[in-house]
Amino acid sequence: MYPGVWTTYILILFFSWLLVLSVFGCTPGTAWTVVNLFHFAITYHFFHWKKGTPFADDQGMYNGLTWWEQMDNGKQLTRNRKFLIVVPVVLYLIALHTTDYQQPMLFLNTLAVSVLVVAKLPNMHKVRIFGINAEN
Amino acid sequence: MVRLPYTTALTTLFSYGLLFAFGQLRDFFRKFVDWFKAKNVKGYAPICLGLEDFYVRRLYLRIQDCFGRPIASAPDSWFDVVERISNDNNKTLQRTSHTTRCLNLGSYNYLGFAAADEYCTPRAIESLKKYSASTCSVRVDGGTTKLHAELEELVARFVGKPAAILFGMGYVTNSAIIPCLIGKGGLIISDSLNHNSIVNGARGSGATVRVFQHNSPAHLEEVLREQIAGGQPRTHRPWKKIIVIVEGIYSMEGELCKLPEIIAVCKKYKAYTYLDEAHSIGAVGQSGRGVCELLGVDPADVDIMMGTFTKSFGSCGGYIAASKDIIQHLKHTCPAHLYATSMSPPAVQQVISAIKVILGEDGSNRGAQKLARIRENSNFFRSELKKMGFEVLGDNDSPVMPIMLYNPAKIPAFSRECLRQKVAVVTVAFPATPLLLARARICISASHTKEDLVTALDVISRVGDLVGIKYFPAEPPKIAEVGHNKLE
Repeated sequence: MYPGVWTTYILILFFSWLLVLSVFGCTPGTAWTVVNLFHFAITYHFFHWKKGTPFADDQGMYNGLTWWEQMDNGKQLTRNRKFLIVVPVVLYLIALHTTDYQQPMLFLNTLAVSVLVVAKLPNMHKVRIFGINAEN
Repeated sequence: MVRLPYTTALTTLFSYGLLFAFGQLRDFFRKFVDWFKAKNVKGYAPICLGLEDFYVRRLYLRIQDCFGRPIASAPDSWFDVVERISNDNNKTLQRTSHTTRCLNLGSYNYLGFAAADEYCTPRAIESLKKYSASTCSVRVDGGTTKLHAELEELVARFVGKPAAILFGMGYVTNSAIIPCLIGKGGLIISDSLNHNSIVNGARGSGATVRVFQHNSPAHLEEVLREQIAGGQPRTHRPWKKIIVIVEGIYSMEGELCKLPEIIAVCKKYKAYTYLDEAHSIGAVGQSGRGVCELLGVDPADVDIMMGTFTKSFGSCGGYIAASKDIIQHLKHTCPAHLYATSMSPPAVQQVISAIKVILGEDGSNRGAQKLARIRENSNFFRSELKKMGFEVLGDNDSPVMPIMLYNPAKIPAFSRECLRQKVAVVTVAFPATPLLLARARICISASHTKEDLVTALDVISRVGDLVGIKYFPAEPPKIAEVGHNKLE
């Protein structure tokens, strides 16, 4: 609906990689891993943990749904959703490639991408495992 | 929809992202600070869950000094704005006793009736003395005075319909009438940018609501065909009735409705039309009769015409004009007529006098002068703004002109800087407009003189340069004539 949302997302990821590289002075691979993990934490919190809307007008209609479930009115596998599933996978591949598949980074990155992709699958719509995060 | 430049979209999204991130950070730390505060409302549910009022607390309150400014005089072309100060970073505002005299570019004062008028004000004062400030009753009990009956006939005559009915509030006119006209089993097709009162009325009616793309008769036809072919949801029975609701001038875009084409589509598919002329009645048209006159549509083709008295007539309240049968039905069923207090008599007298001035029945040609002046003022202002390079929306002849700001930080910048230079403008952000399309809305009045407009243009141009909203290239000043003279 609004032009430039996807581009802004990709640009924020790229610039945060540059920021991490300049602040920590580490190898590019470690920087991509750091970006991947922060991306995991932030997108998991906002897409799959926080529920409801930032406006009071709808009187709590969406209080049981996470932001991922509210996207595109609940329609599954729209273009937006497919794009947002692809981004963590691409980040994962870049992080693995630049760290040469070494051990501690491999495990952390794989954990991040598997949690994110599983949470975004259409079968997980409105599913709350073990009742975690089920209260309004 | 407005064509958003790509880089502007990127920067605006980034700004909103930054504001959102800072808001979340502050909420996060506030949770820790409040952890240790005593909670003495044990057992009661919270009024607001944490996320619900995030937008209000973290975005709106930061710039709330740009909205809701109190004024201390009548909303004429120049008025007094009360200064406010805040001791806690805009969380609360206190009024001071200082006022600033500012140029008024925000009030809906299209024909200049908002301040004392030589014909209307003495008559309004007389009716206040004779009929007092309120009828203290509902229309069906003791609240119909001679003035109400006179105004209903006058409005019907002015608009070109057989009969009319009055209400005390413009918003209520829409939200209480639509449920009386249509119910469950009916279909309402409304423009995507319709006003909140129409949305509220449509939701309250219980009918199915479908939206068509703003001002697009082609899409309206598509929606009509699809809905008529499909019928009611689930049962697929034919719809009981179909009403298409459009507005004359859209207040956030300033553009006129494509009325002739929409009426043609509705007639083809036998749907009723409801025209909301809140901003266009009295302000456009050769003799002020609204968009029907301007676009050459016969009022008999529109089934129900609604309007308000707030904008061009300097009063308050609304009306519905339709055939005698519909008005009779509304008088018996509409709760706003049966249970709400009737319009205040001085307000009714103000509208009567204003309409008489517009029609020229007061014995002078001030009405025609006002209409000509507002047309000239609007066209002059809009063309000058466009020449300076601002992105201005709206059609020619429309007195509402929104200037696009886009970026959320430019809203308070523009608003506060203009106020410092003694020009009061109204800025609008989400949720009244889409998220990325924040704008400053200017309403031109017939009481603005040429000097006022030139002052305003000067201030807006300087502030526009400071804030950076001249998205289009400015036209270079004309130097061709000088060259020609020199050659000779």
